[in-house]
Amino acid sequence: MINPIRAWRTQKQIKHLLGKSGKIITWTTIYVTTPDFKKQAPYPVVLVEYIDGERAYGPLVNYGDCDLSIGKEVFGVLRIVRKGNSDEIIEYGIKFKPKA
Amino acid sequence: MRTKVIGYYNSKFGELWNKSLADLIDEAIAGVLQSVRLARADIDAVFFGNMLGGILENSLFNSALIAQIMETTVPVYRLEAACASGGLAFQTATNYLKSNKNKTVLVLGAEKMTDVSVERATEALTAASAAEEQIAGLTFPGLYAMMAQVYLHQYRYDEEHLAYISVKNHYHGSLNEKAQFRKTITVDKVLASPYVAYPLKILSSSAISDGAAALILTNDPVRVKSSRSAVDVLSSEVATDCLAIKNRDSLTELYATQVAAEKAFCEAKIKRNRIDVAEVHDCFSIAEILAMEDIGFWKRGEGGKKAKEMSTQLGTNQRLVVNTSGGLKAAGHPVGATGVKQIGELFLQLTKQAKSRLVKNAHFALAHNVGGAGGMAVVSILAV
Repeated sequence: MINPIRAWRTQKQIKHLLGKSGKIITWTTIYVTTPDFKKQAPYPVVLVEYIDGERAYGPLVNYGDCDLSIGKEVFGVLRIVRKGNSDEIIEYGIKFKPKA
Repeated sequence: MRTKVIGYYNSKFGELWNKSLADLIDEAIAGVLQSVRLARADIDAVFFGNMLGGILENSLFNSALIAQIMETTVPVYRLEAACASGGLAFQTATNYLKSNKNKTVLVLGAEKMTDVSVERATEALTAASAAEEQIAGLTFPGLYAMMAQVYLHQYRYDEEHLAYISVKNHYHGSLNEKAQFRKTITVDKVLASPYVAYPLKILSSSAISDGAAALILTNDPVRVKSSRSAVDVLSSEVATDCLAIKNRDSLTELYATQVAAEKAFCEAKIKRNRIDVAEVHDCFSIAEILAMEDIGFWKRGEGGKKAKEMSTQLGTNQRLVVNTSGGLKAAGHPVGATGVKQIGELFLQLTKQAKSRLVKNAHFALAHNVGGAGGMAVVSILAV
């Protein structure tokens, strides 16, 4: 079950990353997942470093194969990260989109 | 008196559907006591490594379970450090013996992982990662895959270089009757296996396993004198690091390993080139390469080349042989048991009980056990 308090707390921490640009410093594509992410597999996850040195993880969305590379510029967007049962909350979080 | 390992037993590692966690604990305790001809009442304390009992079995208070099995009232300490739980149990036991004279203790590691789906086991293992890594959909293999990507990119290696680690460890596993996987594999087979987390494949990864392992340690001269075989513990050191890999300065080094290794060699007062046989933490093939560099056996960035040379395989006449048990990759990785099994394998090597996988004339041995994606490392050095 998605804990609404935990989701609320997490979202407060990530809002300053929305729209902020950075570079992929490493990435992977997850094939064997936890139950929560099974429907999304396979999906790429990137580790991004911003110009101020801050780093953040997130799935990469709206990408082409050439975007999955170390050094690629990306920016943070708000997306659904997890959906539970119909009576649970929908959890939003940060994902990354490649810069054109 | 210096602490000595005087006995070892491990269950078969693998998918042991007919055995519960309690059954595995029971088997390991009975097996190790029988091997040293001691009674349960001869044990002064127990150190138990386990990670997932509370998550997968709803069985967290296994200290009392062990007391029940042993019909004892002695202290039973449970140590949890993800995949380093067994190593930390051993390290804690050695510290206990430093401050308690003439004692004999049991070090036990056990894990039951195969009663649940792969997805559920994967989720349970993510308990060893940071919350933000879990929310991003990263798995434990995913974190090592991220480290592998940087390593391959930085030093211009490819997946083939990683594959040789698995080939070597499966060869060693084929010689270990208690290993989960006893078949040799080829580089082509590794490369043809499906991805778990790019660039790591199924055959680059340790399995989900059940198993238990147990050691008897003592600093009692009477017990040592009556034992059939004994190995000196020269050092056992632990170091920690950030939980989230994003907070680390380098993604191609495990700083905890470097610190623990440096402390262990300093305490043991020997140089790295004296080690004849080692068990290093190869939860994924990249992990063994990073470990060999972080411990100081290989130079930084040389790992891919060295892995391809298969220079640490038994029979290659090299000075250092690595992961004769098959490592986590082929022997299996019941996480709480692994660190104990590593010490046990070195005990078998140094006391010439390792049968067809024996490294001849081995005098010094090193075990390296990692928790999570490098948040903890335990390095221990043994000698005869």
